Amino acid sequence: MNISRRELFHLAAIAGLSLTAEDVFAKLNDMNPEKLFEFKPVGNVTLLHICDLHAHLKPLYWREPSTLISARELVGTPGFLCGNTFMKYYGIKPNTMRAYFDTYIAFEELAKKYGKMGGVAYIKTLVNQIKAERGNDKVLFMDSGDTWQGTAVGLFTKGQAIVEAQNALGIDIMVGHWEYTFGKDRVLELINNHLKAEFISQNVADDMWGELIFKPYTIREVGGVKVAVIGNSFPYTPIANPREFTEGWTFGIQTERLQKFVDEVRSKGADVVVLLSHDGFTVDQAVAKMVKGIDVILSGHTHDPAPKPIIINNTIIVIAGSHGKYLGRLDLEVKNKKITNFAFKLYPVASNFIKPDREVENLVNELYKPYEKQLSEVIGKTQTTLYKRDTFYSTFDRVIMDAIKEEADCEIVFNPGYRWGTTLLPGDNITVDDVYSMTAITYPDVYKFEMTGTQIKNILEDIADNVFNSNPLYQQGGDMSRTLGIDYEIKINGEPGKRLSNIKVNGKDLDPNRTYVVAAWGGNMHRAGKNVKKLRAVYDITMDYIKRVKVVNPPQKSNVKVLDYACGCPVTDGKC
Amino acid sequence: MDRRSFLKTTAFATAGLTLGGSVLFPSNAAELVDNPPPKKPYEEALKEITKGKPVSDSDKVKLVAPEIAENGAVVPITAEVELPIEQVKAIHILTDKNHNTRTLSVYFTPANGKAYISTRIRLAETMNVVAIAELADGSFIKAQKPVKVTIGGCG
Repeated sequence: MNISRRELFHLAAIAGLSLTAEDVFAKLNDMNPEKLFEFKPVGNVTLLHICDLHAHLKPLYWREPSTLISARELVGTPGFLCGNTFMKYYGIKPNTMRAYFDTYIAFEELAKKYGKMGGVAYIKTLVNQIKAERGNDKVLFMDSGDTWQGTAVGLFTKGQAIVEAQNALGIDIMVGHWEYTFGKDRVLELINNHLKAEFISQNVADDMWGELIFKPYTIREVGGVKVAVIGNSFPYTPIANPREFTEGWTFGIQTERLQKFVDEVRSKGADVVVLLSHDGFTVDQAVAKMVKGIDVILSGHTHDPAPKPIIINNTIIVIAGSHGKYLGRLDLEVKNKKITNFAFKLYPVASNFIKPDREVENLVNELYKPYEKQLSEVIGKTQTTLYKRDTFYSTFDRVIMDAIKEEADCEIVFNPGYRWGTTLLPGDNITVDDVYSMTAITYPDVYKFEMTGTQIKNILEDIADNVFNSNPLYQQGGDMSRTLGIDYEIKINGEPGKRLSNIKVNGKDLDPNRTYVVAAWGGNMHRAGKNVKKLRAVYDITMDYIKRVKVVNPPQKSNVKVLDYACGCPVTDGKC
Repeated sequence: MDRRSFLKTTAFATAGLTLGGSVLFPSNAAELVDNPPPKKPYEEALKEITKGKPVSDSDKVKLVAPEIAENGAVVPITAEVELPIEQVKAIHILTDKNHNTRTLSVYFTPANGKAYISTRIRLAETMNVVAIAELADGSFIKAQKPVKVTIGGCG
């Protein structure tokens, strides 16, 4: 992409630099998008990759996690890096655009400098540029899923608006996870009647006969190379999301079956074997150790912005962040069925520095049109950053829990530890669209119910064992559920079922025998409760609350104390 | 697995399953509620099968089970012993924290062709599923896999 003299001035203005200053070019180099978009092509195959768009068609702010805590065995490994640890691991300099995109550090300040991230019209410009450079026949564009769900426009159109955007982007192949929460009939309808991409998955089967629901793989000719792409949808879809959406379908990682398909595509003459996956970055690192013969894994689900690939047993593993912030590009040189060279880059989709594709921009405006008036309504203001990503606590979730607590008149609120949402800066208006970006799910009801202290402890322990399991295969890839009304201490490396201690309910010790009044959304916790009452949808409750209080200012401090680590993203062994 | 190979493998297993039929399909469920079967801990069940003989881990036993169960009441498992059928007498499935840990025993004859079973078992909580192969020479080999039973809820 060429940078004009005018754009250079524009850049400098954004960065608050004077072009007459002595070190201006050095400074510009730090943030120069030209350099960020520089790529030396390799070989004759280009794989483009996005994951976890979460229905964000327009640019947004998205702050990466400030803590990302894991079991000791996984500390300091890609998938559990954030902030300074992340920058050190990948050699990123502070205050650069890379630092802004990849970490939470100085986020507010850098947001003013570099602006919003993502947006399909901006992704499209990059894709066009790459295709023009390389030639259409050398490029295959893949999407690891969690694409249709996450915003109002995704929810209101039951995924269709996002499918249209995918078609406009030119996605060739995809897999899924949250897609399934539109229900299996809708999923099949969108795939069969609207989606131009091929939807594949080797790990979704009929639970009676074991017959596969989707094509397990597809073989494409790319730049004269036979590229086989095998799909894995999110293995724990019926566990992490309500089972009724996929009644009669069974998932799982299915490494044995995956191995069978790898061998099968090889015998059909595939030169390169790609796994397009929604397993999660850490799970895919484990899969690469268990399954032989996969050349490339395009991962997703855990939202990691990993600037460099991980190589395990000759398998190249990459992941492309979330929310449309990045476009992943992996160039391959393939000779005699072997990858002889490769190059990888995560292009930051920095909307201030990319000219949006006119056609896709018009499409997005059209898709928003029926809802624009409703969604752009300002309902309040925030004094602090409202963010989502953190292991235990997040400010936007706190606002939602405050709203639920008022509505439900309960002692305790549970809020899911999803990794999608949006970020608002201090002083920002809160719109209806923003609230949906945190809550747009097909099962939005808040439930009020009763639970004993023992049940509450067991549920928290159960969730902690999913999040902090030392074996990646047993992790579901979310963050810890957030709580309001409950404070606790946790030993991440404690025995399963014995990690939590000093649990307080509104300041008093949790009484195992007492019954507590609890409210929760986004999970299936209420199924274990008594006297269950269905309240309103979480987005309605949250919007009414914000309208009422007008200004929100949630505390910045977490209600959970970690006992065995001194910081959020330890380098090794829990010491910073 | 497609329907055809499913039917093929169930045909293999059926011969064995009929022997344990009365255990698998209790004729009077109400009776079980009033008189629950005795608790059988893992060590006891193991002894019952092996009579105290050692059991070694072996990659000849292939046990396939999910990492995390989608529904603890019906957890799909398959077990296969990669040895000639003449060398395999039985496959025993144990679940180390169930009330009765001895879940299933399937006995083979050479007519079964292949020492392979596929079924669904109930897991009361997170535990190990153990597949023990009883060989014709009287020795035992095994494979095991932990299966997590969780309420789930994050995404």
